[in-house]
Amino acid sequence: MLNLKPEEDKALREILNNLAQESRSKMVLLIDKSGQLISRSESPAFSSDDVTFASLTAGNVAASEALSKLLGDKDLNHMFTETEEEGIYMILIDGKFILVSIFDKRVSNLGIVRVKIKKFYSKLVDTLRSIEERIKKESAVSADINPEDIDLDTLFE
Amino acid sequence: MPFINFATKEINCKIVYYGPGLSGKTTNIKWIYDHIRPENKGEMITLATETERTLFFDFVPIEVSNVKGFKVRFHLYTTPGQIIYRASRKLILKGVDGIVFVADSQEDRHDANLDTLDDMIENLKDYDINIEEIPLVFQYNKRDLPNVLPVEVLRRDLNRWNRPDFEAVAHKGIGVLETFKEISRQVLKKLKS
Ligand SMILES: Nc1nc2c(ncn2[C@@H]2O[C@H](COP(=O)(O)OP(=O)(O)O)[C@@H](O)[C@H]2O)c(=O)[nH]1
Ligand SMILES: [Mg+2]
Repeated sequence: MLNLKPEEDKALREILNNLAQESRSKMVLLIDKSGQLISRSESPAFSSDDVTFASLTAGNVAASEALSKLLGDKDLNHMFTETEEEGIYMILIDGKFILVSIFDKRVSNLGIVRVKIKKFYSKLVDTLRSIEERIKKESAVSADINPEDIDLDTLFE
Repeated sequence: MPFINFATKEINCKIVYYGPGLSGKTTNIKWIYDHIRPENKGEMITLATETERTLFFDFVPIEVSNVKGFKVRFHLYTTPGQIIYRASRKLILKGVDGIVFVADSQEDRHDANLDTLDDMIENLKDYDINIEEIPLVFQYNKRDLPNVLPVEVLRRDLNRWNRPDFEAVAHKGIGVLETFKEISRQVLKKLKS
């Protein structure tokens, strides 16, 4: 089961924070390919619902991957989308995760973002791999949650 | 696969509503979205065509706070039903923690139920997910219509694993919450094992 220990969460966050700062991104996110938000830089500048953003990004990447397969089985490595003001750059990490940089086009540009991602790439991959190794060794994690503790009725009006 | 962050104390689970086109999957999660307290929900996303049919997926994030200090997040997805979207359905199943199979009770839609169930079984196999083990709930929807099959027939043909099942009239909200609570309960229970 995919899980993060506090020190791993901290390590990931630190990488994403440094990357966001150096690349002058508004926000950097790490998402797994099924759409879960794994970590993100601390960026007050970004307000969109980041859980929804993660889900849509994973859908977008999955669709583009399927598209590139259809066009001849090439692997998709990265994607770029832009709005009037923002650039959104997505790159696959180890074929399992998606790293996303959202930047203001007046503040940064694709070139800087890509150079800085290159700089932090191997550190990020190493960190993720060691997390995966640790999970593999662990037989089971328990979040110690009791389904009976959750009153789902309180969710609804 | 649920994702647990022990630093932020968050648990994220993915629940997929699967079923033939127009069986009422979008109606289910839209109803849940409309009736959930604002503080418990994020933004709903619908990727639909002009004819209002789901093109890729619908998505609703739901948050339950303070469960033994943890925040539990359920991500509800629906799949597009039409056969041509087989590839999208498979993508959405990636990392799934629980499935609600929404069947259309109408007699003339039963073949579509069966085909979609076969398609789901195939897709799960491709992801090495054992259907015997994954949290799964069946919903027989559209019970308000005149030409529906008896529940016993639907149960016999679809619910081959004897999982909990519910009758529903999704656009009226009948059976919608019962279904959602049951799948959530199963998913949470699995976290413990
Ligand atoms: N009569 C009836 N119509 C329903 C019911 N549930 C959904 N519908 C309608 O069936 C149509 C398709 O529903 P939708 O949720 O879009 O199907 P999906 O393709 O599975 O997402 C819509 O017009 C709904 O209003 C139901 O229980 N009874
Ligand atoms: Mg739909």
